[in-house]
Amino acid sequence: MPLWWPLLLASLLFAIGVYAVLVRRNAVLVLMGVELMLNAVNINLVAFDAHLRDQLHGGQTFALFVIVIAAAEIGLALAIVLLVFRSHGHIDVDRLRSLADRDLDPSTSSGHRKLDRPEVRR
Amino acid sequence: MNALLLLLVLLPFASAGLTFFAGHRAEVATKGLSVGASGLGLALAAIVAFPRLGDAEPIGQVYASTSAAGPSIELSLYVDQLSAVMLLLAHSVAFLVQVYSLGYLGDDPRYPSYTALVAIFTGAMGVVVTADDLWLLLVGWELMGACSYFLIAHHWELPVARAGAVKAFLMTRTADLGLLFAIILLGIRFDSYRISTIMSGILEGGFARDELWVPAMLLTIAVIGKSAQFPLHTWLPDAMPGPTPISALIHAATMVAAGVFLVARTYPLFLSAPMALNLLAGVAALTMFLGALYALFSDDLKRVLAWSTVSQLAYMFGALAIGAYSAGILHLLAHGAFKALLFLAAGSVVHAVGSTSMSSMGSLREKLPDTFLTMTLGFGALAGVVPLVGFFTKDAVIGASLDAARDGRLVWPWLAWVLFVSAVVTALVTVAYCLRAWLLVFFGAPAPSAEPALTSEPAPRAEPVSLRDASSLGSSGQATEVAAIQESPWSMRAPLYLLAVPTAVGGLVVAYPDLLLGSEVEYEPLHPDVAVGMTILVALTAGVVVWAARRHARTPWRVPVIPHPQVDRVYDVALVRPVRRLASVVRAGDRDVIDAYANGAGSATRGLGWVLRLAQNGNVQGYLMVVVVGAAALAVAAGVLA
Repeated sequence: MPLWWPLLLASLLFAIGVYAVLVRRNAVLVLMGVELMLNAVNINLVAFDAHLRDQLHGGQTFALFVIVIAAAEIGLALAIVLLVFRSHGHIDVDRLRSLADRDLDPSTSSGHRKLDRPEVRR
Repeated sequence: MNALLLLLVLLPFASAGLTFFAGHRAEVATKGLSVGASGLGLALAAIVAFPRLGDAEPIGQVYASTSAAGPSIELSLYVDQLSAVMLLLAHSVAFLVQVYSLGYLGDDPRYPSYTALVAIFTGAMGVVVTADDLWLLLVGWELMGACSYFLIAHHWELPVARAGAVKAFLMTRTADLGLLFAIILLGIRFDSYRISTIMSGILEGGFARDELWVPAMLLTIAVIGKSAQFPLHTWLPDAMPGPTPISALIHAATMVAAGVFLVARTYPLFLSAPMALNLLAGVAALTMFLGALYALFSDDLKRVLAWSTVSQLAYMFGALAIGAYSAGILHLLAHGAFKALLFLAAGSVVHAVGSTSMSSMGSLREKLPDTFLTMTLGFGALAGVVPLVGFFTKDAVIGASLDAARDGRLVWPWLAWVLFVSAVVTALVTVAYCLRAWLLVFFGAPAPSAEPALTSEPAPRAEPVSLRDASSLGSSGQATEVAAIQESPWSMRAPLYLLAVPTAVGGLVVAYPDLLLGSEVEYEPLHPDVAVGMTILVALTAGVVVWAARRHARTPWRVPVIPHPQVDRVYDVALVRPVRRLASVVRAGDRDVIDAYANGAGSATRGLGWVLRLAQNGNVQGYLMVVVVGAAALAVAAGVLA
């Protein structure tokens, strides 16, 4: 099997992942994009491992590492998403603007806050 | 003895530190500390000074010295007859002033800092009179200037007090430059800063006449400023808004006396440079008459005394300028005693009346008997009435100036004649203004009870005292009105009587001057012809003044508005305004040039920050977009460049 097949697949997956991370508004779908990117890298690792016939199979080992880290990452991230949902009532990434640098003027900041959390805790 | 001497010099500073520390937290401790330390200082000064009087050998000690390049600067003290009498004078007046201040300013909210500054003032004078190193002397000299600034501005709520303090500080500081340059010149010339070394070098060195005129002239400038002589005399009367005990301290024992002391200390230098002595004699002749003239026409009691100080200091400088060393020193000591007495008594009057204007006084003879008695002695001594101390010393100065005018070699003969005539005329004017002030304060009709006119010093808490006195009297069963004029508390009267003793009988010293200053000094204390002549003239003047006072109801003569010599205006045009203009230029440069850069840096950073914060919009995906695009751009760039 030529090398460029898995590489093509990996770059397609990575591009889809980047697209999802950058564009999707749903936080869960953003996380799915992250997973896609991670797994695209995994494919790369495994493909090069096979292509280079590495005696120690470093590529496969790294892929396992990445899977473990991805599992941990998704666990943590889903917990964050859950908390965001509980506190904000939505998981729309576009509307989560609390980190924006804005004036300390109380009127404007309160306006933002209203935008941020329209309905807190039903 | 040397350890005691060091202790004596350091004691006032230590007590000032402790007083500052105790402050308002323990007011009784503050008062005890300040009075006790000054009493201890007086005792130490007596222990150190009395063995040095007369023909004793001076003691000197070098406690520490630097080993830097050039002549070494030393912490060295030196006490000879002159230092000994000055130590005694300064510490006794300081002690009496501290006791007096208990009554005068004891309830003042700024009493702790006041009394600490008085202690530092005394300590600085102690440093000046005992210093054997010129730099050490300069330290004490400048410390006195700073203390006088703080103490004159004691009532800093008053603009006039602030202005007087700034004026005193600036004028004396300007003149102090003379001392600084003189020190440097002497140090270069003699390769030592030790005064005793320099003076013995001058005595033995065989310098040509006027070879050392530059440092002598510079020193003359310094003492003219410090002792308020003619071109720089205006600060002393303007320093009157300070508390009266401070005036007593400044005028009698410390600040202005330091100028006379410096001339006496460096006397060999002046003797080797008669050019400086000519300057000193001319300044003295002019100043003594000018000061007396202004005392004659001043309505403010304290200003009368201030102008009289200017005039009497000129007597001392006149005596020193014509070579009558011991006459000048004795007049300094006598003046220290009676001027302290006069100022403290004036403070007692002001305390009772609540104003320093003589038009709000009058017929206080019965109401203030103790003050009347002591102040009469003081005025008598100032005027030179026969048995009092001022008579003898002033007679010595006038007699010496007559001798110098006849066959003196130090100053030009015509200048000595001018000095002699000025001294005689000034003595008569002195009689006139003393008598006028005495009559206005203690005799005549009581003052119309109008509100006090413009006064130079705020009435020192007239209400608390009269209230306290009233309550104590009321408790003993006597009804009294609150605003009655009463004699001061004992703490203010006791110093008056203590000072009255040397004022009355101090003249005996003139008969035996070698007891005090040693027998090396060639000196004829008594000039019988001058004494008799002056006594007759004084009596005549007194008669004329009394006749004038009887003829007019209240004041012996109308007070004309005499134009003050416009030295202040000259200073204003020549110094103050250029300095102000320069300051405004500097300020504009600071604001428009230097600040522009600083502000520009600030506003540029702010603008850049404003641009950058636009990116910080809280949208995480936007941030990520930047990251991805940036990474892609880097990757492309790397691919292209590689």
